[in-house]
Amino acid sequence: MADLFRSIINLISIFAIPLMIAVFLGWGFFKKVRVYEVFVEGAKDGFNTAIRIIPYLVAMLFAIGIFRASGAMDLLVSIISPVTNLIGMPADTLPMALMRPLSGSGSLGIMTELMKAHGPDSFVGVLASTMYGSSETTFYVLAVYFGSVNIKNSRHAVPVGLLADLAGMLGAVFICRILFRI
Amino acid sequence: MLNYIWLFLIALALIVGVGKDINDELQNTYQNGVPLEVLFLSSQTPSGTAMKWEGHFYLTAKQFNDFYRTTSQFEEVKQPVVISLSSDGTGSFLFSSADMTPARWKEMSKSASAKDKLMGKVEKIEFSDDKSWAKAQILFEPIRFVKLKAITQAAIDFANTAVEIAFGLIGVMALWLGLIKVAEEAGFVKVLTRLLTPITKRLFPDIPSDHPAIGAIIMNTAANMLGLSNAATPIGLKAMEELNKLNPKAGTATNAMVTFLAINTGGLILIPATAIAVRAASGSANPGIIIGTAIFGAGCATITGVVASKILQRLPKYKKDLNEEKKIAKENDHG
Repeated sequence: MADLFRSIINLISIFAIPLMIAVFLGWGFFKKVRVYEVFVEGAKDGFNTAIRIIPYLVAMLFAIGIFRASGAMDLLVSIISPVTNLIGMPADTLPMALMRPLSGSGSLGIMTELMKAHGPDSFVGVLASTMYGSSETTFYVLAVYFGSVNIKNSRHAVPVGLLADLAGMLGAVFICRILFRI
Repeated sequence: MLNYIWLFLIALALIVGVGKDINDELQNTYQNGVPLEVLFLSSQTPSGTAMKWEGHFYLTAKQFNDFYRTTSQFEEVKQPVVISLSSDGTGSFLFSSADMTPARWKEMSKSASAKDKLMGKVEKIEFSDDKSWAKAQILFEPIRFVKLKAITQAAIDFANTAVEIAFGLIGVMALWLGLIKVAEEAGFVKVLTRLLTPITKRLFPDIPSDHPAIGAIIMNTAANMLGLSNAATPIGLKAMEELNKLNPKAGTATNAMVTFLAINTGGLILIPATAIAVRAASGSANPGIIIGTAIFGAGCATITGVVASKILQRLPKYKKDLNEEKKIAKENDHG
């Protein structure tokens, strides 16, 4: 069942982009849009949007970078782990939960380390990979998306993002404890 | 709030970095100025006048752990090294950090004078009769301020990474913005949005249901769920641009933007391909076992995010921002 689901989704993923290109351009041609000219017109904005992100991304990534390099994560883990121990979350996976919203490459590294140390099919391994799949890199998305339209006052976006990440991590612990607890 | 979190990350990094470096200095974590007794196993005797010996430094795990007062080394240390000796029997050594290098030495090599290489003095060396091995007393170059050096390096590296990411976006941005423009002109986006109007008008009550922003939001969410991140980001940025056209005050996030980002950062993805790939690479018997659990986790995150965005937008603090925005927008209209 799960395998069937997986192969169907994989197939859709492979066909999606060629299909979108075909449908968008085909539909446009059918509706007598001057496809080439309109495409170029739209594509012009690509450069400006990408360049507009740079200051926001530098601010965000540099802060996360020095945080990772300083080893401050260990300190946070030792402060928070008494609480997470209560809900049955292994202390080893706490850096994963904390790093996930901050850095994609950082959390990928932690996930890989945990699998090496505990094995991919251990409880820690399954939980870490579930956590990785349970959220996006919130702060990266905030920086890029708000940066692209020069939003500086993010209002409630950060608390919303953090609450969502918290729920994602707790959800991952909950479902893994039910399904994979040995 | 982003202000505080940003500053918190930086301040914590600097405080912890300085603290660790002071602690290293007081504890002499890297044993600066303390000579280490090692066994040198030579693999190649020097030829000619140059007294360069190639071989290995050998230490048992216990010797290594005792010297550095750790428990981190489990295997015996066998580090390839080059030694240059002068005629009086003293000299210097140099080795590069590699896979089998002990973690402590790797750490030291990162802030050594030559990056990823460690050097030091050979204070005393006594060869066996057949010159195949020697007892040596070595002294590493002093290693100081490891964390502060790492922080400096990270600040520069990540600033560069940010620019690389942005530059890497230019091509795919242009591609997707071009395609979407064609789809818009052809009226395809309108057809797409009409199908999902019952959902989108509840999620984004401030946005007219046939607005191009809705189309981009739908396509971004679909691309994210399929794991097509190359397409998702450009389309998502297009959605932000469209949402910003309805923004009464430039530079401030609207309710619709926050709800959209809540859906986006929830990270609902049908096949968590990266996690599955890492599991498969580390020898899992069933790498795909996390598909269901990850969908559950991401579902929790997405639902919580959307609900939180709807509740928090009513808080006086955030509502006041919006009212002021509207007032200012009205004044601008009249003026």
